[in-house]
Amino acid sequence: MYKWLAPAVIALGLMGCEDANWHSTDISEAMPPLDFHLIDENGNAVDAEDYQGKTTLLFFGFTHCPDVCPTSLAKLAAATRQIDEDLRDEIQVLFISVDPSRDTPEIMKQYTDVFGPQFIGLTGEKANIDAVTNRYRATYEYGDKDAQGNYDVSHTSAIFAFDHDGNARRLMRESDPMDSMVADLTRLAREG
Amino acid sequence: MSGPNFSTSSRNSDQRNTIDHSISHRTAIQRGIMAGILALLFSSTAVHAQDLEITDAQLRLLPGDLPAAGYFTLHNAGDETVTLTGAESSAFAMAHMHLSSEKDGMSQMDSVDQLEVGADETLEFAPGGYHLMFMNRQQPLEVGDEIEVTLKFDGQAPQPVTFEVVSPASM
Repeated sequence: MYKWLAPAVIALGLMGCEDANWHSTDISEAMPPLDFHLIDENGNAVDAEDYQGKTTLLFFGFTHCPDVCPTSLAKLAAATRQIDEDLRDEIQVLFISVDPSRDTPEIMKQYTDVFGPQFIGLTGEKANIDAVTNRYRATYEYGDKDAQGNYDVSHTSAIFAFDHDGNARRLMRESDPMDSMVADLTRLAREG
Repeated sequence: MSGPNFSTSSRNSDQRNTIDHSISHRTAIQRGIMAGILALLFSSTAVHAQDLEITDAQLRLLPGDLPAAGYFTLHNAGDETVTLTGAESSAFAMAHMHLSSEKDGMSQMDSVDQLEVGADETLEFAPGGYHLMFMNRQQPLEVGDEIEVTLKFDGQAPQPVTFEVVSPASM
């Protein structure tokens, strides 16, 4: 008599699971679409529109960061390597420097090349970088210079994910388990 | 290392000295005692060195003259706390101990002057936490090379450690 209920209940259950399958935080309502005016690693002026058509991950950092930034980028590289090759090409990682005085396009290129072809370094005028960090409520702060002029930069560590049209989708963290990261990236790439 | 060398050479000279038995015998005992005392003195240092087990030593190399990060695991198998005070390597002009941490969604890095490792404790220098920051490379380096790094301790002999140069993408 209630046989019709079973598929409905299963369907509802699946829907519930499907939603719970995301491991990262939903930012589709909280964050605006991708927008920036920066300089790419070949020295060309670029806009967010130039990067549409792929799942885009946005990460703020600086190349003189010996530990945290390479660790996050290496984790993203490892995660993308675990994704099917055809989907892997649908993902790009934009590494935006918060240290433009040291991070020239040349250095950005050398740096991102280490991690793979889907990693793209962006730098630019400080005002333009601030426009991006402010847009995504990210922050950064320069530490004191030592005797040799070296300084540290503390910065927001989150990874922001956007869809093919540049709409904000998920907020990921370097500390997320690898499996979760791979699952969410696969799903984002599939959804386009 | 000097301890065993010393006692070996003194034994050899005793073996060669076979002309006057009574004299050589006494000399051998005296030498034996001396060698024993010296061996004990040296071995107290040697035991300390062996009490520190340093494994998984890797230097994560970034391109150009960007700073590199050093990681390792230090296990103190001894009975006393040891204090790590820093590191140095001829491959880089500077090496600092740092701690990365995350606070309110911000990644930050702090300088560390010294670190105590208690008896039977293990200290890990690993990505996202403690690391050695190497600056101003003094020689060309590439992935697969090995470099010597000396870990420095308070009141204890420095420990030379071989670090393997690895790519940041190799995780």
